Amino acid sequence: MQFDAIVVGSGITGGWAAKELTEAGLKVLMIERGREIRHQQDYATEMKAPWEMPWRGAGDAELYAREYPVQMLNRHFTEYTEGHFVNDAQNPYAKAAGTDFNWFRSYQLGGRSLTWGRQCYRWSDYDFGANQRDGHGTDWPIRYADLAPWYDKVEDFVGISGAAEGLPQLPDGRFQPPMALNVVEEHARAAIRAKWPERCLTVGRTANLTEAKDGRGKCQNRSICARGCSYGAYFSTQSSTLPAAMKTGRLTVITDAVVEAVDYDPVTRRVTGVRYVDTRTRQRRSATARLVFLNAGAFNSVQVLLNSASEAMPGGLANSSGVLGTHIMDHANTLSAMALMPGFEGRTTFGNRPTGVVVARYRNLDVMDGVGHTRGFSFQGGALQSTWSAGKREAGIGADYKDKLRSPGMWRMVLVGFAECLPRARNRLTLDPARKDANGLPLLRIDFAFGPEEQAALAQAKADAADMLGAAGGKVLMGFDRPGAGGTAIHEMGGARMGHDPSTSVLNKWSQAHDVPNLFVTDGAQMSSSACQNPSLTYMALTARACAAAVSMLREGKL
Amino acid sequence: MTETQESGWNRRDFIGGAALLALALGVPLAAVRMSSLDPADAPTEAQRGLLREVSQLVLPRTGTPGAGEVGVGDFVALALAHGLEKSRQPLDDNADPRLLRFRRGDGSLDHVTWLAAELERRAGMDFLMAASDARVAALTALDAEAFGPEAKTHPWRTLKALILTGYYTSEVGGAQELRFELVPGRFDPDLPLQPGDRAWSSDWTAVDFG
Repeated sequence: MQFDAIVVGSGITGGWAAKELTEAGLKVLMIERGREIRHQQDYATEMKAPWEMPWRGAGDAELYAREYPVQMLNRHFTEYTEGHFVNDAQNPYAKAAGTDFNWFRSYQLGGRSLTWGRQCYRWSDYDFGANQRDGHGTDWPIRYADLAPWYDKVEDFVGISGAAEGLPQLPDGRFQPPMALNVVEEHARAAIRAKWPERCLTVGRTANLTEAKDGRGKCQNRSICARGCSYGAYFSTQSSTLPAAMKTGRLTVITDAVVEAVDYDPVTRRVTGVRYVDTRTRQRRSATARLVFLNAGAFNSVQVLLNSASEAMPGGLANSSGVLGTHIMDHANTLSAMALMPGFEGRTTFGNRPTGVVVARYRNLDVMDGVGHTRGFSFQGGALQSTWSAGKREAGIGADYKDKLRSPGMWRMVLVGFAECLPRARNRLTLDPARKDANGLPLLRIDFAFGPEEQAALAQAKADAADMLGAAGGKVLMGFDRPGAGGTAIHEMGGARMGHDPSTSVLNKWSQAHDVPNLFVTDGAQMSSSACQNPSLTYMALTARACAAAVSMLREGKL
Repeated sequence: MTETQESGWNRRDFIGGAALLALALGVPLAAVRMSSLDPADAPTEAQRGLLREVSQLVLPRTGTPGAGEVGVGDFVALALAHGLEKSRQPLDDNADPRLLRFRRGDGSLDHVTWLAAELERRAGMDFLMAASDARVAALTALDAEAFGPEAKTHPWRTLKALILTGYYTSEVGGAQELRFELVPGRFDPDLPLQPGDRAWSSDWTAVDFG
């Protein structure tokens, strides 16, 4: 099979690469390792009530302990959504001694675009300039101005609801109308702003439509997105990029096919295509193309590059620098504060808003006021009323107890801290020298630990969160300052970082391998720093930008 | 659910929980995954009766049916066998000797046998034979101890959690006792809450966070 381009992976960035490249006129093959999931046809649990589920939505704990011990820790993993996550027993990975890392994965058409948290934030020059400013990691070869038009482009297509706030550290985008803060959050926003004018609590900027567009319906306020949404109200490959790419007539999709390696021709110094395994028959196959985009998810794109080592490139494809696999990151993440919010007992809400709130970063901007850290942290969370499940923690039996659980309970508010993770050489991915998976591919081995800077940031976040909820009248019940296991934020990134210098980075400013002009890596692997915002929107903008660059280089005969 | 429907129980079927689920929860057999449970985990008829009664005492009939009436006892039996609410985690060797007596082969607590003994001790006789107010008094005392200031974990908390889950995820509990709307269609951020207004069992975030 000969194509103009091969896109490895069908998640958020793979979908974008397929869309952009096909719309530019290229004949594209998209290869997905997991099963096909068809929009509006295969979201089997989407409309189920708890009483229609074998385990009432709670799931079979015995099965999960046996086959989903990692994925079950994901907040979006439920009995309704278990089919949108990998079976851990069938998809093992290796961890270095002392590494605590939960690798949340979705091997299926659409990848994690079906299960993502949908939060969409622009990065700013505080982020793109961070490595240069404090000397950790390598300087990004781009700045906000390089990416701003591409943010515009992807936001217009994705459909992101959000409120413009005019914050330089969290630039406004091209938003659909925002979802509303609830009554308690509105109060907290005002109270926090009154005491700390530089601290902005705003509603989450989320890839859920508040206005219908492009044949997709607006959000129905179910907030069960990860089951799949037949309204197409949140951005996923299925709802958005795949239909656009299919419309061109130039996209071929293969599912149940895991890419084993990218083939490299040392004479032309170009990649020529990919080899892949049919996961149902275990047959080895191949396809050729003029350019290859890796969008397998940060860690799996690195896995493919490492596994593509050849005589000409013994350390892995595009790894003349030796940094491939290093400097991986994930946001350090914990529940910074939870508070009771008295005074709103007579108020309630209707409908489920599929986003929380965010408190934009305010530390280490123009004044370095972080204690023990030089980067940023931000909060996500929200205010909610408790319900019957609070009864699990309360004494009582009988009619009075039942009647009490009949009404919405106390308001509470939570702030979850997300601290920027420094890029460190010792946090790295390698191939396990011995163990292989069922497809015969070497297991990826994760060596990762947070450092003192992230712990310091979360300590400050805990204190700040308690201060803010206290200022809003809350009674703080608890808070934590130790990060969860690596992977908890599901923002794992890095491993094939961008940089100016081919001797210290894998990719150039176009997400293009320094060593191999027709090879692009446009998922999370390309990230040189982590910021403290959710990264997916930036991956999308970088992908669209890289596609445009690749197409123009192809036309100019440079690839 | 009728008494007739509840009677189709046998130990072999329980290995997968299939018959129980099909009968008690009204789901198709094909939807139930088989697993490798020990048939010894199947409760006896007496234990089923106990779980039904205890469920009903926690959440009795008010304007809507109670938990025992809608099959929550059987849900609890199955949930315990499959380890929901971490009910099959091994007991610590230093656990209360009163719990260690009821340790299973895999090290976890046999909650149902423990509960029967605990309630019999408190009632001074077979719990189900005790008078109605004596049953309430025994269970109230156990509940108070489990949620008392010195109790951190307690097997009654696990049982009670499963009773709540079983009830509020049933159609009666979720859509009659509480309200259920799968497709709200809008978000109202600030509404007055009147005394007696029922909560939404379809508020997934509230359910998750308790």
